[in-house]
Amino acid sequence: MLNELVSKINSAVSGANASLLTPEDSKLESSILVDAKKIHAVAEFLKKSKIMNALQAISGVDYVEFIEVVYIFGNFDIANPGQLLLKARITDRVNGNIDTISDLFPAADYQERECFDMLGITFNNHPDHRRILCPDDWEGFPLRKDYVAAKNYNGMEVFPEGKMNMADREFIVRQEMIKKAQEAQSGKVQ
Amino acid sequence: MQDGIALTTLDEFLNWGRKNSLWPMTFGLACCAIEMMATGAAKYDLERFGCGAFMATPRRADLMIVAGTVTLKMATRVKLLYEQMAEPKYVISMGSCANKGGPYWQHGYHVLKGVDEVVPVDVYVPGCPPRPEALIEGVMTLQKKIANERLLRDKWVKHA
Repeated sequence: MLNELVSKINSAVSGANASLLTPEDSKLESSILVDAKKIHAVAEFLKKSKIMNALQAISGVDYVEFIEVVYIFGNFDIANPGQLLLKARITDRVNGNIDTISDLFPAADYQERECFDMLGITFNNHPDHRRILCPDDWEGFPLRKDYVAAKNYNGMEVFPEGKMNMADREFIVRQEMIKKAQEAQSGKVQ
Repeated sequence: MQDGIALTTLDEFLNWGRKNSLWPMTFGLACCAIEMMATGAAKYDLERFGCGAFMATPRRADLMIVAGTVTLKMATRVKLLYEQMAEPKYVISMGSCANKGGPYWQHGYHVLKGVDEVVPVDVYVPGCPPRPEALIEGVMTLQKKIANERLLRDKWVKHA
């Protein structure tokens, strides 16, 4: 069934490059990967052709080589119920951006804001593009693999030494190592 | 007992009045707040101990029960709410998260490691979340603490 949908998307949206992603574990759900630049057109096609009529969730995953935005669509039509995992990959970690689909599915508004808050993906043409969970002056994107936890926030110590189990500070040490590596790398670039 | 006379010290009389009319602030942060609500509701009935009048504003409250995880975003608000309360004011830190960060104490990049980092705490109630009995025990501990204060003799320097 997904194969049919892949060919439908490819014929309806030129340049979508839709392809089927099948996980190694056959128990897991297959998904459709599309080009990130065409996500708005694909969502518009899904909505107008009445294949999917609702957006259930948007989430993101950081795979280090690329950041994947996962759209979970649903069809709550009793005659033709179904669910679809639609994925788009962003390779640019600094200026990574993707079009918003909140004009088609209003449910996408908050979900896209959360995706921006946690993974730092910019959603173009979003009506209210702000952080949603973290404070506005927060630095960094917490769900990224290379995120370094801040030591201080607004004068509050995040990891006070007196309260931490300093014998088990792998986490902090690892964060410091990542930071040093990043600094060394940026030094080379300069 | 008509026209009777009771003798007591003024301190004791004032403390008796204060400890039996604690007004907590309606203020919950996480799952501990559910237990706090249960404590205030009919079955556990915090009102029995003169502590059930949950006020909807910090200006009228004199007890802040910090019930739940204090995130860094919320910490500034907690401090602001505490500063808005009128003296004398007390703080009960309820649950592991408010005490020392709880399950987020080692890896929580976003959680304050104990509300005592921003406001002075009078009583810590352990538990995750504490049962209503535990919160009542905490309130009664605070009442004992208030009963032993000497408001008129000692200059009020607690929160200076």
